Amino acid sequence: MSLPRASGYFRTRYAQDTALLETRTQKAAALAFAAALAAYPFVAGPLALDLANQVLLGSIGAVALMLLTGYAGQISLGHAGLLAAGAFTGGILFKELGAPFWVTLPAAALVGAGLGIAFGLPSLRLRGLYLAVSTLALHFIVIHAGAEYETRRGFSTGIVIDPPRIGDWVLRDARAWYFVLLAFAVANLLFSLNLLRARTGRAWRAVHGREAVAEALGISVRRAKLAAFVVSSAITAVAGCLFAYYRGFVSVEAFSLYLTIQYVAMIIIGGMGSLLGAVLGTVFVTVFPYAIEAAMRLLGLADRLASVVFAVNYAAFGLVMILFLVLEPQGLVGIWRRVQDWFLLWPFKQRPLSK
Amino acid sequence: MTLLKLENVEVAYHRVITAVQGVSLQVAQGAIVALLGTNGAGKTTTLRAISGFIGLDDARVTHGAIHYDGARIENQPPHRVTERGIALVPERSKVFENLSVRENLEAVVPRPGSDRRQRIATVYEMFPTLAALRRREAGYLSGGERQMLAIGSALACDPRLLLVDELSQGLAPLVVQQLAARLQAIRRELGTTILLVEQNAQVALDIADHGYVMESGRIVLDGSPERLRAHQDVREFYLGGGEERRSYREVKQYRRSRRWYG
Amino acid sequence: MQLAVNITVLASIYALICCGYVLIYRVSRVLSLAHGELMMLGAYGLYATASLFSGHPLLAVAAAAGLALAVGAAVYAALMWRMTGESVLAAVLATIALGILLRGLMVLFFGTQTQYPLRDLGWTNASFDVGGGARISAVGAALVLGTALVYGSLFAFLRGTRWGLRMRAAGQNPLLAAQRGVRLHGIYALAWALATFTGGMAGMLLASDAGLEGTLVTIGLKAFPAALVGGLDSLLGALVGSLIVAGAEVLLIYYVDPLLSDVVPFVVLLAMLVLRPWGLFGSREELDRV
Repeated sequence: MSLPRASGYFRTRYAQDTALLETRTQKAAALAFAAALAAYPFVAGPLALDLANQVLLGSIGAVALMLLTGYAGQISLGHAGLLAAGAFTGGILFKELGAPFWVTLPAAALVGAGLGIAFGLPSLRLRGLYLAVSTLALHFIVIHAGAEYETRRGFSTGIVIDPPRIGDWVLRDARAWYFVLLAFAVANLLFSLNLLRARTGRAWRAVHGREAVAEALGISVRRAKLAAFVVSSAITAVAGCLFAYYRGFVSVEAFSLYLTIQYVAMIIIGGMGSLLGAVLGTVFVTVFPYAIEAAMRLLGLADRLASVVFAVNYAAFGLVMILFLVLEPQGLVGIWRRVQDWFLLWPFKQRPLSK
Repeated sequence: MTLLKLENVEVAYHRVITAVQGVSLQVAQGAIVALLGTNGAGKTTTLRAISGFIGLDDARVTHGAIHYDGARIENQPPHRVTERGIALVPERSKVFENLSVRENLEAVVPRPGSDRRQRIATVYEMFPTLAALRRREAGYLSGGERQMLAIGSALACDPRLLLVDELSQGLAPLVVQQLAARLQAIRRELGTTILLVEQNAQVALDIADHGYVMESGRIVLDGSPERLRAHQDVREFYLGGGEERRSYREVKQYRRSRRWYG
Repeated sequence: MQLAVNITVLASIYALICCGYVLIYRVSRVLSLAHGELMMLGAYGLYATASLFSGHPLLAVAAAAGLALAVGAAVYAALMWRMTGESVLAAVLATIALGILLRGLMVLFFGTQTQYPLRDLGWTNASFDVGGGARISAVGAALVLGTALVYGSLFAFLRGTRWGLRMRAAGQNPLLAAQRGVRLHGIYALAWALATFTGGMAGMLLASDAGLEGTLVTIGLKAFPAALVGGLDSLLGALVGSLIVAGAEVLLIYYVDPLLSDVVPFVVLLAMLVLRPWGLFGSREELDRV
């Protein structure tokens, strides 16, 4: 007997339930998207390729932060410190021991995990603003340690790292980096998606919603919080190490509070509580400075403001962040969903239940 | 003379959840009117709609009108409503915990044209206990004293209409009776009109001139206290005079709706 | 003895900046991380008025002070009132975004050069003896006196006057305060105006001492641990916290390592968060409120 399957949501096997892509349309769309991603480096110019690389790299850190803040609800302002830790681990291991990438990357993950425990311990006692402040304090301490290392070992301008190599082949080409970073980003995304669907993810959402109730349901709130910090920090540290390899250079100035704010902006502008939001936010924040520059050139202001272009970026970034916070708290994902709704429901209109 | 009049008022939360439907009631000047009903009947929402503080919960008066002293006050900003002389004694969090009793009273901004000192003196006269506890921090007051302070600080605004939400909540019966007597004194000596929301129908009907019963967002019964007391359903569900046991479901949904609208 | 003078001056700087943090937190539960930038804005205000009113230094200072008050109220009116219903994280992020916006605008308008407003005012930063072989600069003395004056006035205002009382009430229970006729918007705008005024004052004095440049903002950031150590809603706590943090910083710089100066406040903060998160004089319920 053949069962009716027209809706595509009719599942008969467990495997169907756990599959990420269900309907044929979804699979086709995913395939087309994958093909586009694979073809991109061959059609894009060098600037666009570099942008794509930056987006892929940034998405790793943004997804990690989304797991921590968007899903588990633990506010963290120490992201740049964790990126720095990963980058410095790579740099230090390379400079002191000449370690190859397949040692530095796992080492960065371990260091990240260890720091995650340190960043996460305050979360067992503090919440909200106080937790954010404690992560901020830890960020400054980590940065200070990095700066100390730089001055004491004489690398006051930063540590230079050789690009990764396997045998004779050196990872230097932008296109090669694209595929490497794409692999990492996709792996990270799949890992996070599955983590969120599993017990850990559900525990995080419960803790985010109501801690007392989560505890009453038998979820170890302590373990969930620490797990969130550890996982997020490990991923972030790996991102930092990759960042070091990509730039070929590690210096403490790159890891300022502004970098943390950029990542936080990525998840806020993208839309809290959604991995799609993390990715959209990364695209937005990464492309933003270039868009501003293009706009300046268009308006003919490029020459006059050339010396202070970073200030224009700053001001525009601050303004856009404020606009999103005030006008669209659900971020780009909110806008995306509303567009989707409009198309799905047309010609009917639907007003959302709550803002 | 009617001081407050609600005409077919509808209040909706988040634009979709109607908490109050088609409520019409009148409060005459100088009267004490009781608003009875169980939890979730919409009484507090009604009070909040009158006092103008529903905007905070993303609620609006979506239909109908609230007339006060000849003007329409629905959906006005809260300070406008307070300026006109409407003071609310809230259900929860009714005093400033870390301030002394005296500071609680002095922090109040009286209605334009009132003498602040005079008002505070009046409050001390009305509630001698508060006068004795002038320097005590509000957080350390007992339940009854706290309620006195709450009413007192509302009085310090020099209101013409006093909205009291759940006078008896969490208080011993004797204390509640004393407070109810104070409310009568306030009406008698200061001429303040009082709209009292209460779950304890006994106390409310003792001091009220007129009563309304709310159920699921609607007014289902109204009349003088004598008439309400005599009504079978009020006796059964609010005054504890019922004979048979009934399951809550049967009571709430079926029998009642037949009775109220029949 | 010189150490004691240094600690006092540094503590005054931190305390002056902290009272801005405390004022804003007290009424709106928001930690305004734009404070450093507002400090710098105040200093630039002085620089602007110094050039505008050259030859009348006192007028320039007064104008700059008035400007700081106005800017604070404007910040509330333009942005922060919209954030009053939102979550704490959103409000804090809004202040961070505001800080970034201000920083960009300041560079655009004033450039990146270091300025010396004191010179433009026509005054010099003389230093004089305080006894015991210690010296203090004129600006340092002004800082200590100014801080004492500000704190004294704030205590008198909050405890003694009716509007100070209403401010305290609004901080504790805004809804009840509104129901009792207190205009919340006015209170919040006043808090922001006062906070920006004191921060601006600190910025002006610091710029007079060491010149006006980007590092002013970092000092603002270093000061907020002092506020937290003392308790975010207590002015007395801010004073005590500033003394503790300043003391730790100066002593550790002198006896251990000069490079520690930037990180000491945060280490002290972390220790405090571990031991007693609500600070020395803060109200305990603050912890659960968020």
